[in-house]
Amino acid sequence: MAPSSRIHARQAGWLTAAPFLLPYLCLFTLFLVWPLAYGFYISLHDWQLLASSKPYVGMANYAGVWQDDLFLIALRNTAYFVALAVPTGNLMSLLIALGLNARVRGETLFRLLYYLPTILSVAVVAVLWKWMYSAEFGLINHYLAAAHGALERAHLVTGPFKQVPWITDPRLAMPSLAIASVWWGAGGGMLIYLAGLRAIPESYYEAAELDGAGTWVRFRAITWPLLRPTTLFNFVIGLIGGFQMFGQGFMITQGGPHNSTLTVVQYMYRSGFSLFKMGYGCAVAYSLFLVILVVALLQFRLLAFREEIS
Amino acid sequence: MNRRTAWIPTILLAVGAILFLAPLAWMVSTALKPESQIFEKNPHWIPQPPTLRNFSDLAQKSSEAPIGRWLLNSGIVSTSVVVLTLLISSMTAYPLARLRFRGRDTLFYIIIAAMIVPGQVTIIPVFLLIQKLGWFDTYPALIIPGLASPFGVFLLRQFMQTIPRELEEAAAIDGCGPWRTWAQVIIPLTTPALATLGVLTFLGAWNDFLWPLIATNSIEMRTIPVGLQMFQGRYTTEYGLMMATAVLATVPVVVVFLVLQRYVVRGIVLTGLKG
Repeated sequence: MAPSSRIHARQAGWLTAAPFLLPYLCLFTLFLVWPLAYGFYISLHDWQLLASSKPYVGMANYAGVWQDDLFLIALRNTAYFVALAVPTGNLMSLLIALGLNARVRGETLFRLLYYLPTILSVAVVAVLWKWMYSAEFGLINHYLAAAHGALERAHLVTGPFKQVPWITDPRLAMPSLAIASVWWGAGGGMLIYLAGLRAIPESYYEAAELDGAGTWVRFRAITWPLLRPTTLFNFVIGLIGGFQMFGQGFMITQGGPHNSTLTVVQYMYRSGFSLFKMGYGCAVAYSLFLVILVVALLQFRLLAFREEIS
Repeated sequence: MNRRTAWIPTILLAVGAILFLAPLAWMVSTALKPESQIFEKNPHWIPQPPTLRNFSDLAQKSSEAPIGRWLLNSGIVSTSVVVLTLLISSMTAYPLARLRFRGRDTLFYIIIAAMIVPGQVTIIPVFLLIQKLGWFDTYPALIIPGLASPFGVFLLRQFMQTIPRELEEAAAIDGCGPWRTWAQVIIPLTTPALATLGVLTFLGAWNDFLWPLIATNSIEMRTIPVGLQMFQGRYTTEYGLMMATAVLATVPVVVVFLVLQRYVVRGIVLTGLKG
């Protein structure tokens, strides 16, 4: 930097910067920093929305949350959703990105088409997939029935087609929500993988090819290891989003059947806005924040550790 | 890759793209079908013939499901959020990227650190705050809290750092103060990043679900995603009407996305994040 600009820059102190910063800093403090502290304060109280007294209860709400069977069910469901949707979504994103990176025709068009579901509102995704999953009239069961009919004619299966209860069977409901979510979210991960792939120097592949490495070897030895930071990033982003899953379970299955798709955020919503137990709801929210932080840190440690051995 | 295998990725991608788009095509197809064709045993992809019956039926239900009003609300809210986010984020990013003052970098890191707070953690306290301010069930409740998102500040600050110093120096020699420099030098040079931020903010605001669900309760103040949820609760099996509503909720985002899609791609590549 030239000396003249340094002097100019130093003259511009807080007085110059403050008017620019003021509007955002007010918003930031009022709607982000203060709620973060205030929410924790609320969680330490028996805070019924309509009650006149809101007595301090210390950590009792947290103790209640972590002994609450329904919260633990919701946490287990949410973790199950993350375990299903995040790796599958990443694999899907990677496969599409690898395809797009293979010098295909119409790359821009393909990229756009694969990204299209990502721009939908979760409410649209929910009503659409509820219709797709409809046992009697849904598109998926229609094609399964058609496939069943074809196999039957070929004498590969016998008996009538049984409609798959995608969202009404407690064992199937969460995987069904995970499929819809992977469809919804794969486009975002795809763009990030694509950026990661573009950053790998072409010369690595050329050198490997001279050594006679085939497609799979090149992927194993070059692409996959060099994409590790991208994969870590996608996993962490997916995990943070996945643990906050709400709309799909709220709208497609209403948390059912038998609480099999009740998620933590849905449970927070129920505690806070159906039962008006704000203190308890905040304790659920902070517990979720803690879980997300711990899992994200573990993931960093795990992947960084693997980096060290390899 | 030799000539014969060169087509394999394209073919695989095309098959995948058809599968990916099938649910969307089915949504549009159902929206354009009369009820008799929606519940056919062997459904057709192309309605025979396509009809706008579902859309005209929706117009008749405007007292219990005012979809026009919901779309208007979503339009007002998303446009306001976009305009205000662009203005406020660019004002905030400018001194953080280009001016010198004590604690500048610390301030930036504090703002960035707030990006790890999941939105759901603060939703109850923000709701109580909105109530106290008397904003519950109003446009300010839908617009203002979202403006605190650090994403825009982060994106624009990173972009503004890449602008060469010489241009500001020239402006300073010409006697431009910081406001004129911001408005006439920095903002024009930041246009691509502003476009990216604008699209991502629009998509996020239009599609937001949980916050408008909590921050409003009268039927006239719902946004289209929340309206769609209410609609679904009331007309559980009216798939034609529901898909028609879903199509109406989707058309604006698809149009904005198609017009500005290259900025979406660039933004995600630049920051690795969605809005």
